[in-house]
Amino acid sequence: MKAILHVIEYDFRNFFRYRWFIIALIAMNLADLFISAVVFTQMTRGIVDYFRFFAPGLAVLGLFASAFMIGREINMEVRREVHHYLLSLPMSRIELAIGRLLAGGLRGMLYMTPLLLTNFVILGLPTLPQLLLILLALLLLAIGISGVSISIAVSTTSFEKFVTARGVIYYLFFFCSSVFYPMAIIQTLETRGLTPLVKFAQINPLTNGSDLIRSFLLGSPSFSPLMLLDVAIFSVIFALCATFAYAKILMRH
Amino acid sequence: MGLKKIQFVVERDLRMFVQYKFMLIMRGIWFVSQVSLFGLVVGKMVEAAARAAGINYFQYYVAGVTIITLYSTSMFIGYDIFEEAEHGVFEYLLTLPLSRRELVLGRSIGGGLRSYLYVGPLLIIVLTLLGVSNPFHLLIALAGLFLFAFGVSGMSITIAVAMKSGDKYDILIGVLDALIVRLSTTMYPTVYMQQAMPSYATIAQFNPLTYASDLFRWGTGIEGTFQVSPLVGMLALFIFFFSFTFIGVVFYEKRLEGGSWQ
Repeated sequence: MKAILHVIEYDFRNFFRYRWFIIALIAMNLADLFISAVVFTQMTRGIVDYFRFFAPGLAVLGLFASAFMIGREINMEVRREVHHYLLSLPMSRIELAIGRLLAGGLRGMLYMTPLLLTNFVILGLPTLPQLLLILLALLLLAIGISGVSISIAVSTTSFEKFVTARGVIYYLFFFCSSVFYPMAIIQTLETRGLTPLVKFAQINPLTNGSDLIRSFLLGSPSFSPLMLLDVAIFSVIFALCATFAYAKILMRH
Repeated sequence: MGLKKIQFVVERDLRMFVQYKFMLIMRGIWFVSQVSLFGLVVGKMVEAAARAAGINYFQYYVAGVTIITLYSTSMFIGYDIFEEAEHGVFEYLLTLPLSRRELVLGRSIGGGLRSYLYVGPLLIIVLTLLGVSNPFHLLIALAGLFLFAFGVSGMSITIAVAMKSGDKYDILIGVLDALIVRLSTTMYPTVYMQQAMPSYATIAQFNPLTYASDLFRWGTGIEGTFQVSPLVGMLALFIFFFSFTFIGVVFYEKRLEGGSWQ
């Protein structure tokens, strides 16, 4: 446990080295909320209160972007061969991998906190059990995203390939989810023959994460344990993938 | 001033651009996902409002995304300047048999031209989607976009040479990008910005992205989008182009002396 804590501390120190970058990222997220969402609210009047709808999505969006940052660092370590140093540390490969994975997730949670607090200010406070469920779902989501990011990062030594893969995943997960628009509207894509995208949007953990927050803060859609289950399954699958990939693939480089 | 020498600098910048192949692929993916996912779904969401404003939102958005892509690729030149400063390429450039002004002007033209070339294939797809009702209008609009691309490139050079750190540049560009895109008519018409927050609409009136996207929509024949006359739009883009190309050239030229980039 102590070894894992050391790894987490190492990653948090790295995270704070980018504090200006993080502040700028938060500013960009808030610009999305206080400019774009405010204007779209006017355009969606009578259909959805877009500003209130988008706020939970924004928290999930921020969580995704920040939890993904661990992959960028790990890919850089692989390219600069820092992983040799990390592998020489007095801890097992599994401890190292779990530490990196948890650090990625926790950093995502830290980054997302001001965005979640903005949600509470705008939409009101949840009850304590609801808050705990929200935090649990977001933590699982952050760990899963961190897992996706690490799995890609250790699979390639090319930064450009990593950036391209990250781009594809970002856009697929962002735009094919209910982060920006209600699921009911995404479902209209079925009439255009885009059924696979609709299906993906339904199981997308970003959809379930943001809808879970909405269910408690907005009352719609109604809460379903399946939302939490979806996020948990995603998290377990990619946490295992990342742990395995980090521990095994790094030794091959 | 030797045109041939400027041409060499432009050619070099065009070749450099190919180095960003993965970044360019990513921008392409971004464009496709914006159009085929975000544009379609949000188009459904705002259908009634768009009808009331007399626009087809999907078409409106596709034109806006094209301008955002042109803007972001024109900004790449700033990253090149930092890369060159970091890797000692500045010194090499200064030893070349061309004047500072030729070098700087070539960079500015190269920066704008390469983004225009990149957007070219996307533009063909967009024009196929939107159709062209008046080729003469389209030609005027494309000329306006040319000025816009050069202007953004000059702006990027101005910001890059005014900053010492590549990280700070990256952060500033990110924040600027977030504000300049959102406070423009690339994603939504002015009428809704006015309703949402009059100050947003006021800022949008001074935003070159507003003029570029509205002019492009006018050029492709998308109705109900231009708030001012196309002539004013062209004039605004010309002022933008002229100001930033001039400022960029002067700033860059000054910075080249005395190794202030180190």
